[in-house]
Amino acid sequence: MSPLALVLRKYLVAAFVSLRNKAAYPGNLLGSLLSYAIFVFVFSRIWGTIYSGRAPIAGYDGRMAIWYFIIAEVTAFGFGRFFISLAQDMKSGQVAYLLSRPYDFVLYHYADRMGAAIPEAAVLLALGLSMGATFAGPVPLASIAQAFFLLLSLLLAGSIQFLLQFSLAMTAFWVEENTAFFWIYQKLSLVVGTLVPLEFLPAIAQRLAWFTPFPSIAYAPARIAVAYTPHEALRLAGLQAAWLLASALLCKAVFALGRSRLTVQGG
Amino acid sequence: MGKGGARPWWRTALSCMRFLATSFVVNVQSALEYRTNFLIQVFGMALNNAAFAAFWAVLLSRTGSVGGYVFTDVMFIWAIVPAAFGLAHALAGNIRSIGQIVQRGELDVYLLQPRDVWLNLITSRTVVSAWGDFLYGFLVIALLPGLSPGRFALFCAMTLTGAAILVAAFSAAESLVFFMGDSSSASGAFTEFLLSFSLYPETVFDRGMRWVFYTIVPSGFVAFVPLAAYKALEWRALALLVPASLAYTAASYALFRLGLRRYESGNQVGTRS
Repeated sequence: MSPLALVLRKYLVAAFVSLRNKAAYPGNLLGSLLSYAIFVFVFSRIWGTIYSGRAPIAGYDGRMAIWYFIIAEVTAFGFGRFFISLAQDMKSGQVAYLLSRPYDFVLYHYADRMGAAIPEAAVLLALGLSMGATFAGPVPLASIAQAFFLLLSLLLAGSIQFLLQFSLAMTAFWVEENTAFFWIYQKLSLVVGTLVPLEFLPAIAQRLAWFTPFPSIAYAPARIAVAYTPHEALRLAGLQAAWLLASALLCKAVFALGRSRLTVQGG
Repeated sequence: MGKGGARPWWRTALSCMRFLATSFVVNVQSALEYRTNFLIQVFGMALNNAAFAAFWAVLLSRTGSVGGYVFTDVMFIWAIVPAAFGLAHALAGNIRSIGQIVQRGELDVYLLQPRDVWLNLITSRTVVSAWGDFLYGFLVIALLPGLSPGRFALFCAMTLTGAAILVAAFSAAESLVFFMGDSSSASGAFTEFLLSFSLYPETVFDRGMRWVFYTIVPSGFVAFVPLAAYKALEWRALALLVPASLAYTAASYALFRLGLRRYESGNQVGTRS
């Protein structure tokens, strides 16, 4: 087996172990599914009321608005809660055990958290597709290429979510009470492209939004789902790839700076 | 020996109020021990709610109204529900932890104390972030146009009835633990339903399902009746809200007492927290 394959295998095993742990408590998934379902139901009613006898708003008709919300919320529910357990690991000292092991700290956490999150997001997506078919009509996927770009975009969005939340969690190296940072991140992410499409924002806010990672988190996959063109899908996936790289570099930098502040006491 | 007979109801009520006040002071002192954490959580929660105000501002700037609700209507809901929710959790911070406490066998501590078990249990903790909800509710109402002393007083009164109804509703959902064993999914679902249906315009939901808001999931008494009363400055709404809050509280209390008969004590040694 080549060295690269060995490395990959190590992280795949970490992801698989995490998935098995998650699968051992299927009841925990119910809470997430139920919250997502209620949210989708409420917003499908809101959009249904808004668009009753109304022309499209900012280029979105009622069906597009509901489908946009369903896909955008998959990234919020499926990949939006890494911070809590990561920050807990930092604060509890668990981090000290992980540092001494023979794997890359960031990559291990990525494999561990995404191993459990990807299947959960897939279940949420399946639920969303069935609810969308009920409330908004046929699933808006017209080609294999669109489905491919949607899945790729969701995966990139989840990875960016993980890396940014991990960077925020590692601020615990400096300030113990760092939850407020996450709240700000989470709410910005909700307002900028999750609850409503970016096109609904005032012009100046839209322009500013493109300088942030938030359009890559929810807007990109949701836009690919409801208004797919190959050109735009490529542009959005490219933007997400760039933010993935930037987030990975940020995460590595925060870890490098933070680990020098770690003090391990006792065993 | 005393003269015998039942204790007058007003003495019991007074004793409960004194106990509530003492619990509240102790809880506040405990929360303020971690002052930075307290401030971060309070302002963080207020900011959290403000994100939804931004969402509604963006949406309604495009649509004008949603189901007849304009921006000030939605903001009223986003004032009264967080204020009532915040007050409920600031005073009775354990309302959504009853199930967990019962499951862990930690209820024994409360059974041994010379106070009403339900009241003692729910008031023995405060939720710090709930203070942020409470603060946010009053901040929003202060910023809404048309606020007058009369409207402010009505808002305060309806915050109290709303908080009582939320305490009763959450406590009832948690008390299912006595009958179901693990009721965390059921009570979690109920919480999601109650909050989700209270924070969005009633008119977006079908007429056929609105009866739910005035029975099992009492969003109507927490959000929608107060909205109509506030807009019309209609004090008579309290003639509905006060009995409703008392009825929900009595029903919730009765359910807890009924469940308590099924509780089997463990051998865990613990302290009141």
